[in-house]
Amino acid sequence: MLETQGLCHDFGGLQVLSHVHLQVKEGERHAIIGPNGAGKTTLFNIITGTYRPRKGKILFRGKDITGARPHALTRQGMGRSFQILSTLPRLTAFQNLRLAILSKRGVRFNLVRSVDRMKSIQEETEEVLRQIRLEEERDIPAAYLSHGKHRSLEVGLALATDPDLVMLDEPTSGMSRDETHHAVELIRSLTEGKTMVIIEHDMDVVFSLADRITVLHHGEVLACGTPQQIRDNPAVRDAYLGDLER
Amino acid sequence: MKRKLRYGALGGGLILALLLPQVIGIVYTNILVQFAIDAVYALSLNLLLGYGGLLSFGHAMFFGAGAYATALVLTHLPGFPLLAVVLVGACAAAFLALILSPLLVRVSGTAFAMLTLAFGQLFYVFSLKYREVTRGEDGIAGFPTPSLSLPGIGTIDLSVPAHFYYFALALLALCAWAMWFLTRTPFGSVIVGIRDNPQRIDYLGFKVAHSKALLLILSALFAGIAGSLFALFQNLVSVDGALHVFVSFKPIMMAYIGGIGSFFGPILGSGLFHLLEELTSRYVRHVDLIKGVVFILVVLFAPGGIVGVYRRAKARIGGWMATRSGEGKTP
Repeated sequence: MLETQGLCHDFGGLQVLSHVHLQVKEGERHAIIGPNGAGKTTLFNIITGTYRPRKGKILFRGKDITGARPHALTRQGMGRSFQILSTLPRLTAFQNLRLAILSKRGVRFNLVRSVDRMKSIQEETEEVLRQIRLEEERDIPAAYLSHGKHRSLEVGLALATDPDLVMLDEPTSGMSRDETHHAVELIRSLTEGKTMVIIEHDMDVVFSLADRITVLHHGEVLACGTPQQIRDNPAVRDAYLGDLER
Repeated sequence: MKRKLRYGALGGGLILALLLPQVIGIVYTNILVQFAIDAVYALSLNLLLGYGGLLSFGHAMFFGAGAYATALVLTHLPGFPLLAVVLVGACAAAFLALILSPLLVRVSGTAFAMLTLAFGQLFYVFSLKYREVTRGEDGIAGFPTPSLSLPGIGTIDLSVPAHFYYFALALLALCAWAMWFLTRTPFGSVIVGIRDNPQRIDYLGFKVAHSKALLLILSALFAGIAGSLFALFQNLVSVDGALHVFVSFKPIMMAYIGGIGSFFGPILGSGLFHLLEELTSRYVRHVDLIKGVVFILVVLFAPGGIVGVYRRAKARIGGWMATRSGEGKTP
């Protein structure tokens, strides 16, 4: 589904990624873990088109997408959520999601119809709102949502375009224990049958959700394997997990 | 009930607007025409500023393109029908926006403001120097104003002030409705999304640059209509009247004073602007000084403009009423 070949990137001489090979199979839930500054978000930014990599190639469904712009990737079936909330703050939860539905339906430059009167779009937006459990917050601007609800909206925006590959960057960051539990269940049910790549710090979330895990360390792939393999890997224990599980 | 009341108010307002020129005389009728022109102009700027979050310091180039196109067509092609002339003005401005859009949509914020300022000044100087066509500082004057011929109804002579007033008012209503509808369309919601967070809009699958370009062209189109009306009304199009940097600042001030957070704010802003001008010019010589002070006061103390003040007052009175009736219920 998704493959990166020898990705390298640096910011002003600081090497952030070096020769990252990543393989995500169709239908799997793939987690990327690693200490802060390991290059996880940069990897996401490069895959989803925020930056063009210095070196290397990205393949999506076998097609070279290196350097493609985000809107092009979204149209090819990629969806992304951000670690730092990136919703449309002055628009209501409903209006936020409606834009995703408009994009999914390919309604982009329509100038002759009132969007409030497009019945099927309204209905589908209500449906997505229900799925991510924001019905009660329907008319609240995103900026005024509670943190947990705002996170849900962020993930909802990534999923509402109905992508085949979902890239989630720390979807539970800043959530309480309870909220995290609900969010994980929500992500599990909404990504059923989709391919997912998730960056996550919470090891409980990672081990309960992921089919395979890649560990990044100093911009390099330290290990890749099933949760059990990762848990047993001595190098990973040394670099990252060790101090968490002790 | 509420609907009936609204239609009643609308009908009453319409009758009042139609009778007004008979009551207030030529001078005030002409002020109302200027109000209508500036209202269209300020609304077009607010499409960019209030909805797209793009502050243009060079909107006069689109206003001027509409005005000059109208003047040139009427000078060189006498007998051109009126509505076609307005359309030519609108298209000239939209075409200018189309040419500039590849450069302008790449930037936003301060860079957009500076780039539009630069292009605005470029067209000012260009029109000043290109005397053969624009007649420089003197401007183009004395072209005939065609009559409005409506098939099946007859022709309306626009040299009668009251008639021109009706024409300008009708165009204002039409343009305001078209722009308002634009903000309700799917494209309108994409534009508001770009104002809030262009990166997210990109990630949702919309082409941000293309959408901004279309917004710029549509905004220019309506500014061109305002410019065309201006040319028809003044019968004189000069660089200082149509392309000067003050012509760019005027709709910004009007939109701000009325309230950029609302659709109809700029119409109120235009109204207040002309009211202020009319009231003060009789007693003081420095009208612009007073306008400037009002502008500063609005920016400092009422950033939402007239509409913002109204909304706040409504919310406060609503809250006050609620607490009062709540107190009444408790024994």
